[in-house]
Amino acid sequence: MSAKRISRRTLLRASGVCLALPLLEAMSPQVRSAMSMAPNGKLRMGFFYVPNGKHMPDWTPNTEGPNYQLTKTLEALAPFRKKVSVLTGLTLDGARAHGDGGGDHARSGAAFLTGAHPRKTDGADIQNGVSVDQVAAQEIGGETRFASLELGLEGSAQSGNCDSGYSCAYSSNLSWRNSTSPLAKENNPAALFDRLFGSNPSNGKAEDIKDNAQRYRKSILDSVLEEANGLKRSLGQSDQRKLDEYMYSVREVENRLGRADLVVKTDGDRVDYARPAGVPKELDEHCKLMLDLYTLALQTDSTRVISFMFANEGSNRAYTQVEISEGHHELSHHGKSPEKQEKIAKINRYHMSKLAYLLAKLDAVQEGERTLLDNCMLIYGSGISDGDRHNHDDLPILFCGTAAGRIKQATHTKFSKETPLCNLYLWMLTQMGVKTDSFGDSKGVLKIG
Amino acid sequence: MQFPNRPYFVRVVTCFTALMFGATHLPLCGEDPELDKQWQVVQPLLNQYCGDCHTGDDAQAGIRLEKFESPGQILQGRKAWLKISQQIEAGIMPPAQSEPIPATEKVKILEFIQAATNAVNCVKDPNPGKVTVRRLNRFEYANTVRDLTGVEYPKAFDFPGDDVGYGFDNIGDVLTLPPILLEKYIEAAEEISKAAIVVPPPGKKHTSEWTGSQLKIDKGGRASGNFASLSSAGEAYAQEQIPWPGSYKLTITASGDQAGDEPVKAAVVIDGKQMKTISIPNKRGEPKDYVVTLRLKSGRRKIGIEFLNDFYQDNGNGNKLDRNLMVEHVKLEGEKAGTKIDESQIPESHKKLISQTPTGETDSEEVTRKVIQRLVNRAFRRPATQEEVERWVGIAQQVQADGEAFEASIQVVLQGLLLSPQFLFRIEKQRPAVGSTKYAELDEFEVATRISYFLWSTMPDDELFRLAAKGQLSDPTILRGQVERMLKDRRANQFVENFVGQWLQLRKLDEFQPSQQQFPQFNDALRNAMKRETFTFFASVMRNDESVLNLLDSDYTYLNQSLAEFYGIPDVEGEQFRRVSLAGTVRGGLLTQASILAVTSNPTRTSPVKRGKFVLDSLLGTPPPAAPPGVPELKEKGELTGTLRQRMEQHRADPACAACHQLMDPLGFALENFDAVGRWRVKDGNDPIDASGELPGGIKVDGAVALRKLLKDKYQDRFVRCLIEKTLTYSIGRGLDYYDLCTVEKIEQQLKQSDYRFSTMIFEIIRSDAFQKIGSRE
Repeated sequence: MSAKRISRRTLLRASGVCLALPLLEAMSPQVRSAMSMAPNGKLRMGFFYVPNGKHMPDWTPNTEGPNYQLTKTLEALAPFRKKVSVLTGLTLDGARAHGDGGGDHARSGAAFLTGAHPRKTDGADIQNGVSVDQVAAQEIGGETRFASLELGLEGSAQSGNCDSGYSCAYSSNLSWRNSTSPLAKENNPAALFDRLFGSNPSNGKAEDIKDNAQRYRKSILDSVLEEANGLKRSLGQSDQRKLDEYMYSVREVENRLGRADLVVKTDGDRVDYARPAGVPKELDEHCKLMLDLYTLALQTDSTRVISFMFANEGSNRAYTQVEISEGHHELSHHGKSPEKQEKIAKINRYHMSKLAYLLAKLDAVQEGERTLLDNCMLIYGSGISDGDRHNHDDLPILFCGTAAGRIKQATHTKFSKETPLCNLYLWMLTQMGVKTDSFGDSKGVLKIG
Repeated sequence: MQFPNRPYFVRVVTCFTALMFGATHLPLCGEDPELDKQWQVVQPLLNQYCGDCHTGDDAQAGIRLEKFESPGQILQGRKAWLKISQQIEAGIMPPAQSEPIPATEKVKILEFIQAATNAVNCVKDPNPGKVTVRRLNRFEYANTVRDLTGVEYPKAFDFPGDDVGYGFDNIGDVLTLPPILLEKYIEAAEEISKAAIVVPPPGKKHTSEWTGSQLKIDKGGRASGNFASLSSAGEAYAQEQIPWPGSYKLTITASGDQAGDEPVKAAVVIDGKQMKTISIPNKRGEPKDYVVTLRLKSGRRKIGIEFLNDFYQDNGNGNKLDRNLMVEHVKLEGEKAGTKIDESQIPESHKKLISQTPTGETDSEEVTRKVIQRLVNRAFRRPATQEEVERWVGIAQQVQADGEAFEASIQVVLQGLLLSPQFLFRIEKQRPAVGSTKYAELDEFEVATRISYFLWSTMPDDELFRLAAKGQLSDPTILRGQVERMLKDRRANQFVENFVGQWLQLRKLDEFQPSQQQFPQFNDALRNAMKRETFTFFASVMRNDESVLNLLDSDYTYLNQSLAEFYGIPDVEGEQFRRVSLAGTVRGGLLTQASILAVTSNPTRTSPVKRGKFVLDSLLGTPPPAAPPGVPELKEKGELTGTLRQRMEQHRADPACAACHQLMDPLGFALENFDAVGRWRVKDGNDPIDASGELPGGIKVDGAVALRKLLKDKYQDRFVRCLIEKTLTYSIGRGLDYYDLCTVEKIEQQLKQSDYRFSTMIFEIIRSDAFQKIGSRE
């Protein structure tokens, strides 16, 4: 990391403002709104995943078209009504059993962004597909410091069998770099802040510029890469794959460090945000911090692709925040009990309030004529429709943002039965400049708006 | 009680069409008359129900039944038959429009396929299996860093990732290394190496100097030629930016024209304030250095030398007496305070890592190499090759050539080693088998590493390294001694926490949120006490080398006062845990511990299904099959009503659900006297608890005591086998496969013969081929 970056950090510490402008200018609040480092109109791709499906009667609007009525679950979206499309009838075929038996939760998590049918295994030969965010990241990731970010509110599931013979890797990870490499989520807001905006205050001291650790970082990474290359030859096939993964990560981080320097030289990002202290005990606070950083990461153009998993698929969290003491997964098997369904609907509304928070944040960032939200293609949804039936058609899916004006009018559209969710992803990838005519199990490009 | 028909260690094989019939290298089973007899019954059944579509050239999915004429051929086509078995079991085959297989016939077919596909010949060199290279998980990483460098690095527990497979987080196939984790490793390597090794600070200096002619004059003279000359009262000075407050050394090179009755006198003046006076008796042309130590504040300062005693006397006879001051040079030097290493501040880790420092140029390279060699050996957990050592010596020399201290160069090397693939992964090299055996053995260092991560979740200690170097770990007596030593060592607590914490799902207890209204007495202290009970109980079986059957049933446990009160057991005072007799109580063994009862409950109520599933899955190793996918028929049905038991009975009435729930539910209901946080109860709300149930086969079970007795009397062997399977999975870091049957059975026999002593299980696992050899993946 260069000296410049560090001095910038010092200022960040001192004033809560990360600046590129001369000090005085940066301190004046009037200038702040005019300053946005992200190029106007740059398209962002975001995802917000919630587990265990929805109470669909409260979700789906009765009427189609631009004048659709917000339903009980969607009510919190009223302020952004003109920027949110409801997409009904989409299907995630990969999450279906296809002869593999139970495990709908694991498959939903694994398939949601990949459209693939994950191989049923508790560990050996994990196989899924590359996820849509990663395809986009491979196309445009080089333009930003982070090709993509993978975020969540909990780590990977910690013990036991996650779902009917499926490794927990499937239910804990949305983003897959390739068919065998899931990308772990960052769930610590402090660590995320440090990745985005620089590390702890002591790093700002002048003497750290000559920090040996940083000075020799490149030589060390070159050296371990060389070592890994030599080592590979003496290993078996499955071991080689692990070494490949290691080498990919080393190169990727080297590139990222290179890009960090680049950003410093062109310096323009500035963030008025205090560094979080760690993972708060309260879910509400934790979520708020992560969504704030979700927004900041896009706003500062640190990345243009983010996936966010509210909870691992199949999560049995008790949402005491809305006075529900039963576990979410347990409730989702409602057996038609109206009482349980109402509780699920309540959890759905709770999740929706978090989405509304994120949309409000994004919409408050002005980017020229439009807002950051306008410049987003943000998908909210679940890979399961009704948690009791575990069906993967008629999924609850929202499209938030107008794809930088490409969507003229937000609507509620009912697609014909069995329309792949991947048709939507294919359209999104095309907008991101990816040249492909298929993704996952897509059968064509879905047109919305 | 009959357990579901499950192929032993089922692995799903999806690559259905690419099977190579008859081309496998599976060891063939000898003639098994029992299997042949079964085949006589099953072959006609298969023809009847499957033959229409699965014979001849146009056979569906390429499965031609007429190609399989004996159980031996079925073993050769194992992968296909496992898939066939699953499809039949799940009711996918035969398809809906075909004639269904009646339940009794179905059982016969499935049992036969299971037996035929798992007929492994244990005598003929069975496959010991291949473990995929394992990345250190976060616990192993933190422990290894501590043992290698002496640095505690709790931030490792926040590392992302470490996905779980086969119930554990140390499975090579599942442990990935995404870029975000590498970023964390880089940061960690930098922080750990800085904390482990103290580098002498580079001695920060500030130096400024001026020739006399560069000085400015404030009255009394002029600066020219070689010096500033003051011939009357005045000051020669320099303006200087003082970088930090502290002590500075001012060296003034000066001389004087001496006259009168005293030598030249000058004062050092800072910002107009006289600080020190000096006497300059030497003559012009013979300059001398005058050193003054000053304390200066930071900032811009005026540093002056004032001529104090001007003297001039003209006697009128050409004999003039003139006293003057000549300042030829001024040098200001500051060294920041506290730059020396204080010996007492050097951490133990530093002394351990840097056992030796070079005394000068001559031995620098030799000492560098020696220190690095030792470090690489320990980081790689084996003797490093010369090439590997030289790679890091090269880096150290590069650092030293940049003018850095020896210690700094080792610090950079340590930073690099912590990022090396051979540190982050437990590498086991492919090698050809020696002699007549089919599979190669691991070398002693690789075995030492496996043992140490198995029992301690960390790198081998010096003793293990020493034994490995001498090739003695293959000696059974020495190995047995080591196992006993290691199990007694406190590092074995890591085995308890990591293995038991996952085997019994106790890690999930951290996230368990029982309803505060219903269970106000549950709090974090109690949560921890519950976990502690189970860990301590297991550790006591381990350390006292008791029978593993005690885990299933025991007349003692470990409690502190809070937990004892929660259990209603009197006379336990104080918060420390101690062994408490359970004689005459309903509790005993793992299954009645609150930790397990809670972790298998929902936040507001018990879950007999989860508890039943836990017994089947974690204690008996016979996980029930997953619920049928989709369960579409539920959609058409009305709401389930009544008590929990009634609702579950309605649920069970559905034939799709019955098969498994008949098994799970009675096991779970037997524990109904324990509420969702594991407290004893006789009523659920207003309803009295009914803890009775009937297992398939008419076996009645009523309450926890009866359940425990049933498990112990009838399913002891299943429990022992399950424990072996789970421990073996954890120890080798891969899921078990059908060929591991031989290993498991052998361990089981040995364990039986030793009265189920805990250490025998561990010892036999370590001695097994699965642990000691490199096989192949199938």
